[in-house]
Amino acid sequence: MTDKSSGLFNWINTRLPIVNTFERHLSKHPVPKKVNFWYMFGALATVVLILQVVTGIWLMFGYESTEEGAFASIEYIMRDIEGGWIIRYMHTTGASMLFAVVYLHMFRGLLYGSYHKPRELVWIFGMAIYFVMMAEGFLGYVLPYGQMSYWGAQVIISLFGAIPYIGESLELWIRGDYYISGATISRFFALHVVALPLILIALVFIHLIALHEVGAGNPEGVDIEKYVDEDGVPLDSVPFFPYKVLNALVAIGIFGIVFSLIMFFFPEAGGYFIELANFEEANPLNTPEHIAPVWYYSPYYAMLRAVPDKFGGLIVMSSAIAILFVMPWLDRSKAASIRYKGVLSKIAMILFVFSWILLTWLGTVPVTELRKTLSIIGTIIYFAFFLLMPIYTSIEKSKPVPERL
Amino acid sequence: MKKLLLICFLFFMLDAFGLESAPCGDYGDCKKFSPQLNNLESLQLGASTFINYCYGCHSLKYSRWGRVATDLDIPEEILLSHLAFGEGIKPGDKMTGSMSSVNSETWFGIAPPDLTLVSKLHGSDWVFTYLKTFYEDSSKPYGVNNMVYPGAAMPNVLASMQGKQVLSCKDVPIIADNGGVKRDEEGNDITEEKCGYLKILPNTGTLSEEEFDELIYNLVNFLTYVSEPSRADRERIGWYVIFFFIIFTAFSYLLFREYQKDYD
Repeated sequence: MTDKSSGLFNWINTRLPIVNTFERHLSKHPVPKKVNFWYMFGALATVVLILQVVTGIWLMFGYESTEEGAFASIEYIMRDIEGGWIIRYMHTTGASMLFAVVYLHMFRGLLYGSYHKPRELVWIFGMAIYFVMMAEGFLGYVLPYGQMSYWGAQVIISLFGAIPYIGESLELWIRGDYYISGATISRFFALHVVALPLILIALVFIHLIALHEVGAGNPEGVDIEKYVDEDGVPLDSVPFFPYKVLNALVAIGIFGIVFSLIMFFFPEAGGYFIELANFEEANPLNTPEHIAPVWYYSPYYAMLRAVPDKFGGLIVMSSAIAILFVMPWLDRSKAASIRYKGVLSKIAMILFVFSWILLTWLGTVPVTELRKTLSIIGTIIYFAFFLLMPIYTSIEKSKPVPERL
Repeated sequence: MKKLLLICFLFFMLDAFGLESAPCGDYGDCKKFSPQLNNLESLQLGASTFINYCYGCHSLKYSRWGRVATDLDIPEEILLSHLAFGEGIKPGDKMTGSMSSVNSETWFGIAPPDLTLVSKLHGSDWVFTYLKTFYEDSSKPYGVNNMVYPGAAMPNVLASMQGKQVLSCKDVPIIADNGGVKRDEEGNDITEEKCGYLKILPNTGTLSEEEFDELIYNLVNFLTYVSEPSRADRERIGWYVIFFFIIFTAFSYLLFREYQKDYD
């Protein structure tokens, strides 16, 4: 029996590189032996992404992508489908949690310079994932067709209308109609469940392949490839499998506790994960007093509102995302990790975090004069962090980076 | 860093409290409502109040008769004979209400909204406060107004039980800047007349104030249930899932520690 199965295994393995792939990416893939909790969010993001795909498929069993049926079909899933509410709450909680872990994952990158040479492409593909995720989240948000889905979509789509010359036709092209209607819902549905997930998974794959080519970073910013044993394996590394997989399991366990606490006890998270206005079906004749996006778009929305001109707001908002793509070329510091960077970088980082939290909050509340001023200040700090980076990272004195981990 | 966070937090709180309008309109902050979703008696009484007093105009169109009966432990015969009024209603039917929206729009100017999700949309606190703050106002078409939702196009259908509630004035002690009550030289409180207090005129309703409060409590408890029938299940299952993850974390941590010895 053993011989037979190993024979079969050999037969397959000579045709499909199972052992090779397993060794190259898992059992012999070297990762830095000392990392901290910040390095767990990538694994968590993968787990939540899988969760979103699986729960998404289940939701499709009950969802109806029509103007008349969309809202009611969500309640059908919540009430009439056995366990439907579990699936839906996993998906809604998962959406916010995916953004939460991705934001923490990105912040890890900023903190420890994960975009430094030779990881520029890893960073850029990561940013592409984030960008597609934002589109994916927006499309999914429209599908339940609640009041805020409708008016949120109205705001976002009308942004494209602010582009000179092509704006109006572009808006029409996106909506597929002169106003948001069944045509919009069905195309958003197709994009949300097929097109963007395909792109997303492909990008995640490339992100990981690129990462495995250059190897993972570490909080010290040490290049572990410098000291290798006779087989060329870095001395300060351990194989990914089983060591880091176990590490990730602990993280998944803790994350599972947090996730379940939200999902089972505060699924709406006070209106931040599921907006309360979405418990009312979309009504094109009744504009809500206060239109706010879900929390993960909030900083950009605050920037949009900080600029008086709509097209200008659009430019500022998209630049805020675009500027992240060129991070590898903005940071001139010799040290990758914040631990060895100079005091200017540290101050800049604190101000950046402050501005991000401020903008996130501002984007969720109704605008007032004071808040508008705060949004402008927040936006300026946000951009200053990036635009001044080439200057402050080159004039400050960084501490020497250790040789070994 | 901690101080910075604290300052940010205080700043947010100040701003947030200073600028937002009160959640319950003229009433200010809503009355607190904590549901008892496992109290079947309360839910049954609430369902019966809803069917008798609200269902004539408001539907619960995402909810089904049979589901309510099962969850609230109401035998199907009783449900169909005492609650589901109408010809040929089956347990699997949705609670679509008994008034056509064309008629209701002619009569009220606006179709009475479906209430399946009302306690999710506005919050149970809001609904609870809303139902208790109708007051007599002869300037309105139905002779009543509401403090939470001024100008609500709805008659106070529970008035026969609650009695006539009016806005009244009363003498209240003046609070000094230091937070204490202002007193005159003889030590008596100095008072001023303030208006906008709700008062029920005695002997105008069939229920006492406590009985009416309980009626509203049960009704809002039912509306909270119907907005998410699986909520009680959700909160029950949640503990098991969290317990599983705690065990999972503990064991994976122990295994992780064991393997960590290889390279630490």
